[in-house]
Amino acid sequence: MPKPFTSPVEDSVPKVDEKIAVGENLEFQRKWWRFERVIWSVFLVILVCDVLGLFGRGWLSKAKLVSDDGELTLNYERMERSDTPSIMTLHFSEQAIHDGRVKIFVGRTILGPLGAQRISPQPVVSAIGEGGITYTFAATEAPAVVQIALKPSFPGPHKFTMRMEDGRPVEGSVFVFP
Amino acid sequence: MATILHAVLGYFILLLVVRVLARRPGSQMTMFEFVIVFLMGGIIILSTVGNDRSVTNCTCAVIAVGLIHRTVSWAKNRSPMLGAIIDGTPLVVIRNGEWQPEVVRGMKLRREDIEAAARERGVTRVEDIEYAILERNGRISVLPKE
Repeated sequence: MPKPFTSPVEDSVPKVDEKIAVGENLEFQRKWWRFERVIWSVFLVILVCDVLGLFGRGWLSKAKLVSDDGELTLNYERMERSDTPSIMTLHFSEQAIHDGRVKIFVGRTILGPLGAQRISPQPVVSAIGEGGITYTFAATEAPAVVQIALKPSFPGPHKFTMRMEDGRPVEGSVFVFP
Repeated sequence: MATILHAVLGYFILLLVVRVLARRPGSQMTMFEFVIVFLMGGIIILSTVGNDRSVTNCTCAVIAVGLIHRTVSWAKNRSPMLGAIIDGTPLVVIRNGEWQPEVVRGMKLRREDIEAAARERGVTRVEDIEYAILERNGRISVLPKE
Protein backbone atom coordinates (compact mmCIF):
# COMPACT_ATOMS: atom_id res chain seq x y z
CA MET A 1 0.00 0.00 0.00
CA PRO A 2 1.50 3.39 -0.99
CA LYS A 3 2.44 5.80 1.79
CA PRO A 4 0.12 8.79 2.07
CA PHE A 5 1.53 12.27 1.39
CA THR A 6 2.51 13.94 4.64
CA SER A 7 3.68 17.34 3.44
CA PRO A 8 1.04 19.84 2.36
CA VAL A 9 0.81 20.83 -1.28
CA GLU A 10 1.78 24.53 -1.46
CA ASP A 11 1.90 27.06 -4.21
CA SER A 12 5.59 27.77 -4.74
CA VAL A 13 4.94 30.88 -6.85
CA PRO A 14 4.99 34.11 -4.82
CA LYS A 15 1.59 35.80 -4.66
CA VAL A 16 0.72 39.47 -5.12
CA ASP A 17 -1.50 40.92 -2.35
CA GLU A 18 -1.96 37.32 -1.15
CA LYS A 19 -4.45 36.93 -3.99
CA ILE A 20 -2.87 36.07 -7.29
CA ALA A 21 0.16 33.86 -7.94
CA VAL A 22 2.26 35.91 -10.33
CA GLY A 23 5.82 35.07 -9.34
CA GLU A 24 6.88 38.70 -9.37
CA ASN A 25 10.29 39.36 -7.88
CA LEU A 26 10.65 43.12 -7.77
CA GLU A 27 13.84 43.00 -5.73
CA PHE A 28 15.53 40.87 -8.40
CA GLN A 29 14.16 43.19 -11.08
CA ARG A 30 15.67 46.26 -9.37
CA LYS A 31 19.05 44.52 -9.34
CA TRP A 32 18.57 43.63 -13.00
CA TRP A 33 17.84 47.26 -13.91
CA ARG A 34 21.06 48.27 -12.14
CA PHE A 35 22.90 45.55 -14.09
CA GLU A 36 21.36 46.83 -17.35
CA ARG A 37 22.62 50.34 -16.65
CA VAL A 38 26.13 48.96 -16.06
CA ILE A 39 26.11 46.68 -19.11
CA TRP A 40 24.94 49.46 -21.44
CA SER A 41 27.81 51.59 -20.15
CA VAL A 42 30.16 48.68 -20.88
CA PHE A 43 28.69 48.37 -24.39
CA LEU A 44 29.29 52.09 -24.93
CA VAL A 45 32.91 51.77 -23.79
CA ILE A 46 33.37 48.81 -26.18
CA LEU A 47 32.07 50.90 -29.09
CA VAL A 48 34.31 53.86 -28.21
CA CYS A 49 37.33 51.50 -27.99
CA ASP A 50 36.37 50.06 -31.37
CA VAL A 51 36.13 53.52 -32.96
CA LEU A 52 39.54 54.43 -31.51
CA GLY A 53 41.00 51.22 -32.88
CA LEU A 54 41.71 49.32 -29.68
CA PHE A 55 40.33 46.21 -31.37
CA GLY A 56 42.24 46.79 -34.59
CA ARG A 57 41.70 48.75 -37.80
CA GLY A 58 41.98 52.18 -36.20
CA TRP A 59 44.17 54.93 -34.83
CA LEU A 60 45.30 53.12 -31.64
CA SER A 61 46.19 49.92 -33.48
CA LYS A 62 48.74 51.51 -35.79
CA ALA A 63 52.34 50.77 -34.79
CA LYS A 64 55.77 51.66 -36.10
CA LEU A 65 59.11 50.00 -35.50
CA VAL A 66 62.50 51.28 -36.62
CA SER A 67 65.66 49.17 -36.58
CA ASP A 68 68.65 50.44 -34.54
CA ASP A 69 70.60 51.33 -37.67
CA GLY A 70 67.57 52.96 -39.31
CA GLU A 71 67.71 50.66 -42.33
CA LEU A 72 64.22 49.26 -41.79
CA THR A 73 61.01 51.01 -40.77
CA LEU A 74 58.02 48.78 -40.21
CA ASN A 75 54.39 49.95 -40.19
CA TYR A 76 51.86 47.42 -38.98
CA GLU A 77 48.77 46.97 -36.80
CA ARG A 78 49.49 45.90 -33.24
CA MET A 79 45.86 44.79 -32.90
CA GLU A 80 44.58 42.48 -35.58
CA ARG A 81 41.34 40.59 -36.07
CA SER A 82 41.11 36.94 -36.92
CA ASP A 83 40.49 36.22 -40.63
CA THR A 84 40.59 39.94 -41.44
CA PRO A 85 43.14 41.16 -44.00
CA SER A 86 45.71 43.83 -43.17
CA ILE A 87 48.93 45.17 -44.65
CA MET A 88 52.37 45.26 -43.06
CA THR A 89 54.63 47.78 -44.82
CA LEU A 90 58.42 47.64 -44.81
CA HIS A 91 60.31 50.82 -45.70
CA PHE A 92 64.01 50.41 -46.55
CA SER A 93 66.50 53.25 -46.32
CA GLU A 94 69.35 53.90 -48.72
CA GLN A 95 71.77 52.03 -46.41
CA ALA A 96 69.67 48.88 -46.71
CA ILE A 97 70.35 48.56 -50.42
CA HIS A 98 73.56 46.67 -51.22
CA ASP A 99 74.55 45.93 -54.82
CA GLY A 100 71.05 46.68 -56.06
CA ARG A 101 69.49 44.25 -53.62
CA VAL A 102 67.69 44.26 -50.28
CA LYS A 103 67.77 41.17 -48.12
CA ILE A 104 65.44 40.63 -45.18
CA PHE A 105 64.72 37.71 -42.89
CA VAL A 106 61.06 37.24 -41.90
CA GLY A 107 60.33 35.03 -38.88
CA ARG A 108 57.88 32.17 -38.82
CA THR A 109 55.25 34.05 -36.79
CA ILE A 110 54.49 36.32 -39.73
CA LEU A 111 54.29 33.36 -42.08
CA GLY A 112 52.21 31.16 -39.75
CA PRO A 113 49.99 32.64 -37.03
CA LEU A 114 49.82 36.08 -38.67
CA GLY A 115 48.98 34.41 -41.98
CA ALA A 116 51.19 36.10 -44.61
CA GLN A 117 49.14 35.72 -47.82
CA ARG A 118 51.37 37.42 -50.36
CA ILE A 119 54.33 39.73 -50.61
CA SER A 120 54.56 42.62 -53.00
CA PRO A 121 56.72 43.07 -55.04
CA GLN A 122 57.73 39.46 -55.62
CA PRO A 123 61.20 38.71 -54.23
CA VAL A 124 63.95 37.66 -56.60
CA VAL A 125 65.00 34.88 -54.24
CA SER A 126 63.22 33.27 -51.29
CA ALA A 127 65.41 31.10 -49.10
CA ILE A 128 64.01 29.01 -46.26
CA GLY A 129 65.94 28.37 -43.06
CA GLU A 130 66.52 29.54 -39.46
CA GLY A 131 62.80 29.19 -38.80
CA GLY A 132 61.68 31.66 -41.40
CA ILE A 133 62.30 32.91 -44.92
CA THR A 134 65.00 35.25 -46.20
CA TYR A 135 63.68 37.34 -49.07
CA THR A 136 65.93 39.10 -51.56
CA PHE A 137 64.44 41.99 -53.53
CA ALA A 138 65.89 43.86 -56.47
CA ALA A 139 66.17 47.56 -55.52
CA THR A 140 67.57 50.68 -57.14
CA GLU A 141 67.41 53.50 -54.61
CA ALA A 142 65.39 54.63 -51.57
CA PRO A 143 62.56 54.91 -50.83
CA ALA A 144 62.03 51.19 -51.28
CA VAL A 145 58.80 49.69 -49.99
CA VAL A 146 57.62 46.12 -49.60
CA GLN A 147 54.14 45.14 -48.49
CA ILE A 148 53.11 41.89 -46.82
CA ALA A 149 49.40 41.06 -46.88
CA LEU A 150 48.38 39.39 -43.60
CA LYS A 151 45.31 37.44 -42.65
CA PRO A 152 45.75 36.14 -39.09
CA SER A 153 43.94 32.95 -38.22
CA PHE A 154 45.13 32.27 -34.66
CA PRO A 155 43.71 34.56 -31.93
CA GLY A 156 46.00 35.61 -29.09
CA PRO A 157 49.32 37.43 -28.64
CA HIS A 158 52.08 36.80 -31.17
CA LYS A 159 55.65 38.06 -31.17
CA PHE A 160 57.40 38.43 -34.51
CA THR A 161 60.93 39.05 -35.70
CA MET A 162 62.46 40.63 -38.80
CA ARG A 163 66.10 41.16 -39.54
CA MET A 164 68.03 42.95 -42.24
CA GLU A 165 71.09 41.24 -43.65
CA ASP A 166 73.75 41.32 -40.90
CA GLY A 167 71.52 43.63 -38.88
CA ARG A 168 70.02 43.32 -35.43
CA PRO A 169 66.53 41.82 -35.24
CA VAL A 170 63.48 44.06 -35.05
CA GLU A 171 60.97 42.55 -32.69
CA GLY A 172 57.33 43.45 -32.35
CA SER A 173 54.14 41.96 -31.09
CA VAL A 174 50.62 41.66 -32.43
CA PHE A 175 47.46 40.72 -30.59
CA VAL A 176 44.87 38.95 -32.70
CA PHE A 177 41.25 39.27 -31.57
CA PRO A 178 38.91 36.37 -32.31
CA MET B 1 36.07 23.30 -33.61
CA ALA B 2 36.22 27.06 -34.28
CA THR B 3 32.64 27.00 -35.58
CA ILE B 4 31.37 25.38 -32.37
CA LEU B 5 33.25 27.93 -30.23
CA HIS B 6 31.91 30.78 -32.36
CA ALA B 7 28.39 29.37 -32.12
CA VAL B 8 28.61 29.15 -28.31
CA LEU B 9 30.04 32.66 -28.07
CA GLY B 10 27.50 34.05 -30.53
CA TYR B 11 24.62 32.41 -28.66
CA PHE B 12 25.56 33.97 -25.33
CA ILE B 13 26.40 37.39 -26.79
CA LEU B 14 23.04 37.45 -28.57
CA LEU B 15 21.27 36.23 -25.43
CA LEU B 16 22.87 39.01 -23.35
CA VAL B 17 22.12 41.79 -25.82
CA VAL B 18 18.54 40.67 -26.41
CA ARG B 19 18.01 40.24 -22.68
CA VAL B 20 19.21 43.72 -21.79
CA LEU B 21 17.09 45.28 -24.50
CA ALA B 22 13.88 46.42 -22.86
CA ARG B 23 11.16 43.74 -22.90
CA ARG B 24 8.42 44.72 -25.29
CA PRO B 25 5.12 42.95 -25.80
CA GLY B 26 6.03 40.19 -28.28
CA SER B 27 2.58 39.99 -29.80
CA GLN B 28 2.85 43.67 -30.67
CA MET B 29 6.26 43.51 -32.32
CA THR B 30 6.68 46.46 -34.63
CA MET B 31 8.78 46.79 -37.80
CA PHE B 32 11.34 48.56 -35.62
CA GLU B 33 11.85 45.38 -33.57
CA PHE B 34 11.87 43.18 -36.70
CA VAL B 35 14.88 45.20 -37.92
CA ILE B 36 16.76 44.43 -34.69
CA VAL B 37 15.92 40.70 -34.79
CA PHE B 38 16.95 40.16 -38.42
CA LEU B 39 20.02 42.40 -38.30
CA MET B 40 21.44 40.81 -35.14
CA GLY B 41 20.75 37.29 -36.42
CA GLY B 42 22.42 38.06 -39.74
CA ILE B 43 25.51 39.57 -38.11
CA ILE B 44 26.05 36.69 -35.72
CA ILE B 45 25.74 34.15 -38.57
CA LEU B 46 28.71 35.78 -40.33
CA SER B 47 31.08 35.16 -37.44
CA THR B 48 29.66 31.71 -36.67
CA VAL B 49 30.26 30.02 -40.02
CA GLY B 50 33.08 32.30 -41.21
CA ASN B 51 34.41 31.49 -44.66
CA ASP B 52 33.48 27.82 -44.39
CA ARG B 53 29.97 27.64 -45.80
CA SER B 54 29.99 23.89 -46.32
CA VAL B 55 27.02 21.74 -45.32
CA THR B 56 29.26 20.02 -42.75
CA ASN B 57 30.18 23.29 -41.06
CA CYS B 58 26.64 24.68 -41.06
CA THR B 59 25.26 21.37 -39.74
CA CYS B 60 27.79 21.42 -36.89
CA ALA B 61 26.87 25.03 -36.10
CA VAL B 62 23.13 24.23 -36.03
CA ILE B 63 23.69 21.19 -33.81
CA ALA B 64 25.92 23.22 -31.48
CA VAL B 65 23.31 25.97 -31.12
CA GLY B 66 20.59 23.37 -30.52
CA LEU B 67 22.66 21.67 -27.86
CA ILE B 68 23.47 24.92 -26.08
CA HIS B 69 19.82 25.90 -26.13
CA ARG B 70 18.76 22.56 -24.68
CA THR B 71 21.44 22.80 -21.98
CA VAL B 72 20.40 26.34 -21.06
CA SER B 73 16.72 25.25 -20.92
CA TRP B 74 17.66 22.33 -18.65
CA ALA B 75 19.70 24.63 -16.40
CA LYS B 76 16.81 27.14 -16.25
CA ASN B 77 14.45 24.44 -15.04
CA ARG B 78 16.94 23.36 -12.38
CA SER B 79 17.65 26.85 -11.11
CA PRO B 80 14.85 29.42 -10.66
CA MET B 81 17.49 32.15 -10.28
CA LEU B 82 19.01 31.28 -13.67
CA GLY B 83 15.50 31.26 -15.10
CA ALA B 84 14.95 34.76 -13.73
CA ILE B 85 18.27 35.95 -15.16
CA ILE B 86 17.57 34.59 -18.62
CA ASP B 87 13.81 35.14 -18.91
CA GLY B 88 13.16 37.75 -16.24
CA THR B 89 10.18 37.57 -13.89
CA PRO B 90 6.57 38.59 -14.42
CA LEU B 91 5.93 42.16 -13.32
CA VAL B 92 2.75 43.81 -12.14
CA VAL B 93 2.19 46.94 -14.23
CA ILE B 94 -1.25 47.89 -12.89
CA ARG B 95 -2.41 46.99 -9.39
CA ASN B 96 -5.97 47.74 -8.29
CA GLY B 97 -6.45 50.22 -11.12
CA GLU B 98 -3.21 52.08 -10.42
CA TRP B 99 -0.12 52.26 -12.59
CA GLN B 100 3.11 51.00 -11.05
CA PRO B 101 5.39 53.80 -12.27
CA GLU B 102 8.63 52.08 -11.22
CA VAL B 103 7.84 49.08 -13.45
CA VAL B 104 6.55 51.18 -16.37
CA ARG B 105 9.67 53.36 -16.24
CA GLY B 106 12.10 50.49 -15.62
CA MET B 107 10.72 48.37 -18.45
CA LYS B 108 10.39 51.39 -20.76
CA LEU B 109 6.78 50.41 -21.40
CA ARG B 110 4.35 52.53 -23.35
CA ARG B 111 1.05 52.91 -21.58
CA GLU B 112 -0.66 52.56 -24.96
CA ASP B 113 0.53 48.94 -25.16
CA ILE B 114 -1.09 48.04 -21.84
CA GLU B 115 -4.24 49.92 -22.75
CA ALA B 116 -4.38 48.00 -26.05
CA ALA B 117 -4.12 44.71 -24.13
CA ALA B 118 -6.91 45.89 -21.83
CA ARG B 119 -9.17 46.70 -24.78
CA GLU B 120 -8.67 43.15 -26.07
CA ARG B 121 -10.25 41.99 -22.80
CA GLY B 122 -13.10 44.45 -23.21
CA VAL B 123 -11.80 46.84 -20.55
CA THR B 124 -11.73 50.47 -21.57
CA ARG B 125 -10.69 52.17 -18.33
CA VAL B 126 -7.52 51.61 -16.32
CA GLU B 127 -9.57 51.98 -13.13
CA ASP B 128 -11.45 48.83 -14.13
CA ILE B 129 -8.28 46.73 -14.24
CA GLU B 130 -7.45 44.79 -11.10
CA TYR B 131 -4.11 43.53 -12.34
CA ALA B 132 -2.13 43.98 -15.54
CA ILE B 133 0.92 41.75 -15.62
CA LEU B 134 3.86 41.89 -18.01
CA GLU B 135 4.66 38.21 -18.49
CA ARG B 136 8.12 36.78 -19.11
CA ASN B 137 7.35 36.14 -22.79
CA GLY B 138 6.38 39.81 -23.27
CA ARG B 139 2.62 39.25 -23.27
CA ILE B 140 0.41 41.41 -21.06
CA SER B 141 -2.21 39.63 -18.98
CA VAL B 142 -5.12 41.84 -17.95
CA LEU B 143 -7.43 40.80 -15.12
CA PRO B 144 -10.51 43.06 -14.92
CA LYS B 145 -12.12 43.94 -11.60
CA GLU B 146 -15.08 41.75 -10.76
